[in-house]
Amino acid sequence: MAKEGLFKIGGLENVQINIGKIVSEEDEWEPMGPVPCPEVEDMRHWYMKLLDRYPPFYAPYCDMCCLCTFGKCDLTGNKKGACGLDMRGQQARFVLIACCMGASAHCGHGRHMLHSLIDMFGADVPVDLGTQINVEAPIMRTVIGVKPKVLGDFAKAFDYVEEQIAQMMDATHTGQEGSYLDYEAKAYHVGMLDSLAKEASDMIQMIAFKYPMGADVPLVDIGVGCVDTDKPIILVIGHNVIPSVAIIDYLDEHDMRDLVEVAGICCTAIDNTRYDFKAKVVGAIGRQLRFVRSGVADVIVVDEQCIRADIVEQAQRVQAPLIATNNKALYGLPERSGDPAEEIIEDLASGKMAAVAILDPEKVAEVVPKLAMIMKNKRKNIRTLPSDAEQKEYAARCYDCGNCVLACPQGLPIDRAMQELAAGNPEPMSILFDKCVGCGRCEQVCKWEIPIVDVMQKTALKQVKSEKFKMRVGRGPVLDTEIRNVGAPLVLGTIPGVIAVVGCGNYPDGTEDVYKIAREFALRKYIVVATGCGAMDMALYRNEEGETIYEEFPGGFEAGGVVNIGSCVSNAHIHGAAIKVASIFARRNLRGNMDEIADYILNRVGAAGVAWGAMSQKAASIGTGVEVWGVPVVVGPHGAKYRHAHIGRKDDLTKWDVYNMRDGSKVRCEPAPEHLILGAETVEEAIPLLARLCMRPVDNPSGRQIKLTHYMDLSMKYLGAYHDDWPIFVRSETDLPLARKEEYLKVLEKDYGWKIDWDSKKILEGPLRKQDPQFDPTNLERLLKGAE
Amino acid sequence: MNTIPFDPGCVPGPEMARLADPRTIGIAIKRAKRPILVVGAEILKDDLIDKAIEIGKKGTPIAATAHSMKTFVEKGYTDNVFMCNMHPLANNFTRNDWMGFDGKGNYDVIVFLGVTYYWSSQMMSAVKNFATNPLRMAVSIDRYYHPNAKMSFENIRDTEQFKSMVDEVIAQL
Repeated sequence: MAKEGLFKIGGLENVQINIGKIVSEEDEWEPMGPVPCPEVEDMRHWYMKLLDRYPPFYAPYCDMCCLCTFGKCDLTGNKKGACGLDMRGQQARFVLIACCMGASAHCGHGRHMLHSLIDMFGADVPVDLGTQINVEAPIMRTVIGVKPKVLGDFAKAFDYVEEQIAQMMDATHTGQEGSYLDYEAKAYHVGMLDSLAKEASDMIQMIAFKYPMGADVPLVDIGVGCVDTDKPIILVIGHNVIPSVAIIDYLDEHDMRDLVEVAGICCTAIDNTRYDFKAKVVGAIGRQLRFVRSGVADVIVVDEQCIRADIVEQAQRVQAPLIATNNKALYGLPERSGDPAEEIIEDLASGKMAAVAILDPEKVAEVVPKLAMIMKNKRKNIRTLPSDAEQKEYAARCYDCGNCVLACPQGLPIDRAMQELAAGNPEPMSILFDKCVGCGRCEQVCKWEIPIVDVMQKTALKQVKSEKFKMRVGRGPVLDTEIRNVGAPLVLGTIPGVIAVVGCGNYPDGTEDVYKIAREFALRKYIVVATGCGAMDMALYRNEEGETIYEEFPGGFEAGGVVNIGSCVSNAHIHGAAIKVASIFARRNLRGNMDEIADYILNRVGAAGVAWGAMSQKAASIGTGVEVWGVPVVVGPHGAKYRHAHIGRKDDLTKWDVYNMRDGSKVRCEPAPEHLILGAETVEEAIPLLARLCMRPVDNPSGRQIKLTHYMDLSMKYLGAYHDDWPIFVRSETDLPLARKEEYLKVLEKDYGWKIDWDSKKILEGPLRKQDPQFDPTNLERLLKGAE
Repeated sequence: MNTIPFDPGCVPGPEMARLADPRTIGIAIKRAKRPILVVGAEILKDDLIDKAIEIGKKGTPIAATAHSMKTFVEKGYTDNVFMCNMHPLANNFTRNDWMGFDGKGNYDVIVFLGVTYYWSSQMMSAVKNFATNPLRMAVSIDRYYHPNAKMSFENIRDTEQFKSMVDEVIAQL
């Protein structure tokens, strides 16, 4: 084995030896499993098992392929294009491309941060997550078989992910993959890579910046109304916290922190509050255009991801200088890192330049606070929203062509609201404010150049200014100690499930939907976890007592907890929690063992994700990455535009056969979970669906009874009826909701022909299978006793 | 007639819906061997639920997606109404081995009414592209021009006009 230290080589002169890195032997912390650092073919058996049970359904978003010069090819009706690929293959290819884009964004973000953090702190910062976390990086342990000890160890995760993404993107080239199933398998592979990249990305910022962890993290301010407009305001937008942290450090070091507001939009906002509790969160992506247009920000700093491509133009419109800080989003701006700070400040403050790129975070920090102080003074008389007179004039200009309605992704009745406004009634327009996703497409088509976004914001100004809420700081990973407390009840079903509210803000009917979902399940003692836009948007409402959801419910990973895990990359800790259940509660080996762990989660951990406003390619890779670990996902109706769903067939029971690990027998199970990814049109549809998707084959009678009770109750509450297949989840009378057991037994006898012994109130005949306390389900042949 | 899709960017390709008047669509549904009406969340607006019930009473089964079932229950009409999720339902339309809600086979004319535009557009796209042999036909009687349908109304802004068009469809059944 190679040892670190000095060594001499005799007899050699003028020889240069370059040593890239010293490979030292890993601790034998666990035996290596069968699939460390898997290539797609190593995990294909698992991906294909999922695709066999949950075959892809395609809803093409476009019937054409425009990717090569053979085309355009018309694939309508599942025709083949000139390259030989049919419509199914093309849809699956796009799914893979979207996942590669999303995973690249997470991985690129992480790699960029790793470079910066190693520059700032060195590679030897220890991975120290305190005494309550031993399983520090469950995905990294499982997928690449590495237990990171220091910051530099995370490079191994990024090395692996980058190489694999290149291989998978390669497969999307013309003349490569030809099977839609193998495209889907590759998308699963990329989803898995995405989860690993996210974990590494969040871990490195947590250990370098010493983010807080656990249930007792503080509450911070969220909402437009929280931003103190008497102070100079720095607005940061994006997903990479490095320049923001540099700004905050500068403010601290120069005793300026209380003089300047640092407010954020999107995940940079969440991560800022993990570093500095004084940082303010304006909100999620939907607030971006509207907050910028409000003109409140004195300086705008953008980093990466989910930033409007026309942000420079929008900043110019409100005369706020803009600084781009990341090489992924340079907007054609000159890079000024090498110039003196005073010179850059002078250029921006004088208006000589409207925006610049500065890629050196230290230089950003040197420029931005001083610039904000100057601009606050210079911009004090700037009015950005329409005056009352202008508002009237704009409304009067509208001649009701309806183009704005057609352009609106939600089809909002902007035309009618504008007519009402012209007639002196601003209310219909102000109601649209929360339902609007803030894209600005309406303005693009308005022939009369009405600044519709501004007009709408003006009508809702009172409401916007009163937006002062509390959000619990993103707390990162679930503690091992929490998993010890909830592992058994989660697997047995007595905690009915984990509901993960994740994703972007392309909601079909406003931000309140995510609040409704989260609160409904928290009240029912599910564990609710949230990240990104969802975590922010659910904070924007109050209960009857005036409490936000984070004030109403505890922040622990426990029954009835509402847990803000953190930003988009923190998403990985949700998978991580499920993996930890397998590791800590069930003592499964993680190392190089992804198929077994995903199989464990699929059969045992009652969890479901909801990406209600899924919009981006990152959301595609996130959702796919959740699925591949065995957790089903529900998306909002816009999610149908991702082109595919993974739909189980309850009418083909052969798909639900599962092995019993104890004796190798096949057991025909109920469809649990029934689907792996699908959409819902409304939140009222999504809520019972999520409860249904939390059922698992291994639920014990008490757990199934609780899950079935919630499912039936939510169905009745939101749908006014039960799905007629509900008996498929009943294995014995003990599974039935207690309060209505007799009523349900009568229904089973009368409508479904089940045989009931009324003396003992027991089911004699009817269920698909009996509940077996010894049932140890798996879909993997290799786990059966006696298997090689 | 206005042939711009309700979402103008939703131009799928060379095969786009034929604009059809209510009478033509009504006759197509009438002639279908196994028609089905698919309704969604927008059925709760503008008393469209009453139109759906009228269609149901004329013998066309109704797939109640989203949370529309609740209103059927409240209206006391559930005779041939089947509660389901749209994605699995649309998946079933693309399969030849699905036996329908009554166990007698798949449906040949799938009529959409009262569904969020972009959501039903995607489902009609699935029918258009994959329910081809034997051909199953998606027909929209919603107030939008739906290019992924086989036949569709134009975009209709006036609610009363739209309701009278649906009435005309019903009159043919």
